[in-house]
Amino acid sequence: MASAQPGALVRSLALRRPELLPPVLVLAGAVALVLSMRVVNPRFGSPEQIAAILVTSIFLVVAAFGQGLAILLGGIDLSIGVVMSIGGMMITGLTRGSNDALLWAAPATLLCCAAIGVLNGVGIALLQIPPFITTLAVGTVSFGVALGLTAGSSQQSVAPALQELMSGKFHGLPYPILMTLCFLVLATVVQGQTAEGRKLYALGSSPAAARIVGLPIASLTIAAYAVSALCAGGSGLLLAGYSSSATLDMGDPFLMPTIAAVVIGGARVTGGRGSYLGTFAGAIFLSTLATVITALSLSQGWRNVIQGGIILAALILQSNRWRSWKR
Amino acid sequence: MLPVRLGFVGEEGEAEEGGRRSLPSSGATLAALLCLVMYGVYVLKEPSAFSAIGLANLLDNTVVLALAAIGLTLVILSAELDLSSVGVIAITNSIVATVSTRYPGGVLLSLALACLVGLAVGVVNGTLVTYLGLQSLACTLGTMIACQGIALLILSAPGGEVAEPIMNGLTGSVLGVVPVAGVILILGAVAWSLFRRTRLGIALYAVGTDEVAARLSGIEGGRTKAFAFAAAGVIYGLAGFMLSAETGTGDPRVSGSFLLYVFASVAIGGTSLAGGRGGVLGSLAGACILTVMQKMLFALGVAEFYTNIFNGLIMIAAILIGRLAPALARWSARRAAPGSSALAAGGADRG
Repeated sequence: MASAQPGALVRSLALRRPELLPPVLVLAGAVALVLSMRVVNPRFGSPEQIAAILVTSIFLVVAAFGQGLAILLGGIDLSIGVVMSIGGMMITGLTRGSNDALLWAAPATLLCCAAIGVLNGVGIALLQIPPFITTLAVGTVSFGVALGLTAGSSQQSVAPALQELMSGKFHGLPYPILMTLCFLVLATVVQGQTAEGRKLYALGSSPAAARIVGLPIASLTIAAYAVSALCAGGSGLLLAGYSSSATLDMGDPFLMPTIAAVVIGGARVTGGRGSYLGTFAGAIFLSTLATVITALSLSQGWRNVIQGGIILAALILQSNRWRSWKR
Repeated sequence: MLPVRLGFVGEEGEAEEGGRRSLPSSGATLAALLCLVMYGVYVLKEPSAFSAIGLANLLDNTVVLALAAIGLTLVILSAELDLSSVGVIAITNSIVATVSTRYPGGVLLSLALACLVGLAVGVVNGTLVTYLGLQSLACTLGTMIACQGIALLILSAPGGEVAEPIMNGLTGSVLGVVPVAGVILILGAVAWSLFRRTRLGIALYAVGTDEVAARLSGIEGGRTKAFAFAAAGVIYGLAGFMLSAETGTGDPRVSGSFLLYVFASVAIGGTSLAGGRGGVLGSLAGACILTVMQKMLFALGVAEFYTNIFNGLIMIAAILIGRLAPALARWSARRAAPGSSALAAGGADRG
């Protein structure tokens, strides 16, 4: 294996399991990023640093699953940033720094976030409002309500147990990395193997055909957006545990990366194509990129230019790959 | 193949005819009506708004959003998405704030640079989308981030100065009567009305409706889309130039919520995000709605979190009201001529 040509490997993978190609290439890109950083700075890429990258990637890994489901249906979820913030704010506001409340506060938070997703789904599936507008509007309204209730940032710190969950280790392996792996398996199975997941693919690739076949379009759509908001809320909950407090704008920086992760992972924006493994690889890639760029100690301007450039490069490289194996 | 072609020819006639016939039932008209109602509330609360100065002020506040929405509409009509407007506006704003006072002839130089930067970003977007086959949402996200970085390289922190002639010239009025911002908006509307009747304008609708059918009819889909991106880029550049004139200073960080407003303007104006349906006039009305609503809510003394709630609700309401238009048209058509109701309903749906 080690002596085989990378080109030949890629080609045989493209022939046998074409859907695995984008995730493998994107993960290889993430590894290449770390290796190229080692050339510049030999101290970069220590096991601790890799672990730190993986720990911080969990937010994007979880939130991007929901975005992936929305995009799989040919839609988009622009409320993810707001829902993440609301998840974090709620768990902090409800637990108020004590562990006792966590038992009911965590389910209540997730339920509330899922309810926002149900609103999205109802607007899209029943009122037939374009997903772009529905999720934008629902997100804006939810932000307004949360702002009115909380005044923007929480005064308390989050429950210690949640902080322990994000910083603790199990036999030297940080909990978040274990959770990321569990989530990867769970999400891949849900999206790719279960009947409901396959129905989402069918609905995304041809809504008209799905209607003729008799798929429950409305409930599938509502469920997809509810899961999306549930994941965003869960991600916000973890983010609050990681940063030990919450603000109402802490989810905003994650919205665009969730879209980028899904698309870098090989999904089609018009729906019907894409796997969670691809999205996962995209999320890991973007988290690595963010860490690498921070480590370069450049001005914010250069960081943005490089980040934008690398996202474009990843897309361009992929588009050529797609074409070469499709022929 | 033949049915596909026929279908397209029908669509083309539809787009042509829509300009003249569908006015009373189009999203643009309803959006304009909604805008007038909110303006009425605003004037009731703040009588000074119903004056030349008040109106000019309102138009000044609208024009940047409206220009950005015009650009985005062109791209969306061709069934692509474009997030780069914020990036282009950030770059041009930074350039105008650094260049316009520093060099002789800085006014014209900065205007030329604004257009060139917009054109360059638009051409990059167009090339990536049409010739490399990238998905427009993702690739314009990349260019947007890169552009924001370039803006920060030009101007690392808010500041800089915009030349007096730009500020006074673009926020003043023509012959002391018509505000310049109003003239720009009217020019935009007129230019659009002329453009949509040209070959390229019709091609834009055709490509957005059905790219395969358009190609079979001899329309170069790629070239049309590339044009849409390039034109949109130049218009974003102009929007950035106008923003500099309004604020009189430079800010390399244009807020992300502005981008959402641009998309909301287009959607409220009745342009389908799937492409091929709608037009610039609706987007102009959408931009006016969003601006007037901010003013109205502020005049009513509504707290900030209510403003957010209203913003969201108005987007939903605008879409739902826009949905009522075809239904109403169908209903009146059925009452007028029972025999031709199916035909009228089909036409109204697409108009």
